[in-house]
Amino acid sequence: MELREFFTEDGINLDLKGETKDEILKELIALLGLDDKSEGILYKMLKRRENLGSTGIGKGIAIPHCRSLVVNRLRVAFGRKPAGVEFKAIDDQPVHNFFLIIAPPLEVSNQYLPVLGKIAQFSKEADVASRLEKLHSPNEFLGLLQEKGV
Amino acid sequence: MHPQLETLLEIQDLKTQRRELQETASERAMQEEVFNLGADQAIVQLDEKIAEMEDTLPTLTRNRYNRIASRYERVMVPVIGGTCYGCFVSVPTALSSDADRNNEVRACQNCGRFLYLID
Repeated sequence: MELREFFTEDGINLDLKGETKDEILKELIALLGLDDKSEGILYKMLKRRENLGSTGIGKGIAIPHCRSLVVNRLRVAFGRKPAGVEFKAIDDQPVHNFFLIIAPPLEVSNQYLPVLGKIAQFSKEADVASRLEKLHSPNEFLGLLQEKGV
Repeated sequence: MHPQLETLLEIQDLKTQRRELQETASERAMQEEVFNLGADQAIVQLDEKIAEMEDTLPTLTRNRYNRIASRYERVMVPVIGGTCYGCFVSVPTALSSDADRNNEVRACQNCGRFLYLID
């Protein structure tokens, strides 16, 4: 299983417009192309997860995630906000890169935790933050995932 | 979507989150190590939120919810491809293909769990 398999160009936005944590979460959810009600429920769930503790893991990266009944398979998205947004990250630094992961409560193939772990591992690689900063297209993002072999 | 169904769905999602933190060692470890989350404290907060939301359910729905919860871990389950993902029995075609699905609170005729229909 490789991360590249889970991302599509439609689920990548390298120029998020949101100026706040809430706006960024909404933009990320919109990348999944769900109906309005499902988007609203996901937003509430992600907010509740963030209220337990920020998913900003440092180095300008956050991984908002949850399980929810509104999806029937694992869904992921990636967003970048070059100027960064205050996200209450572990290192108190603004977050520029956001990986969204949503999984159904039950998965036959149990991909949620491995994907979450791989994204965390990818994010901690020394050159990843600077490489993400220099991306020009969704395709380059997919290429980076492939190159890293995660 | 029916407002009670939305509440039930949110409760179920919160319960899933709680169960994973409580029972899945790898999930707990991930949350603690990667996200620096205090799992025990998070479980307490989730319990409070779940109880608060359960209290908002009307009596009839609440009683039904409690009955199902006493039998099954998952009170609400998805219907995917016409199958109840609680008991894996097919639901009536009319129900699963209803254009206004999720505008009513419905239960599986076999296991009684609340149903959420998704594509």
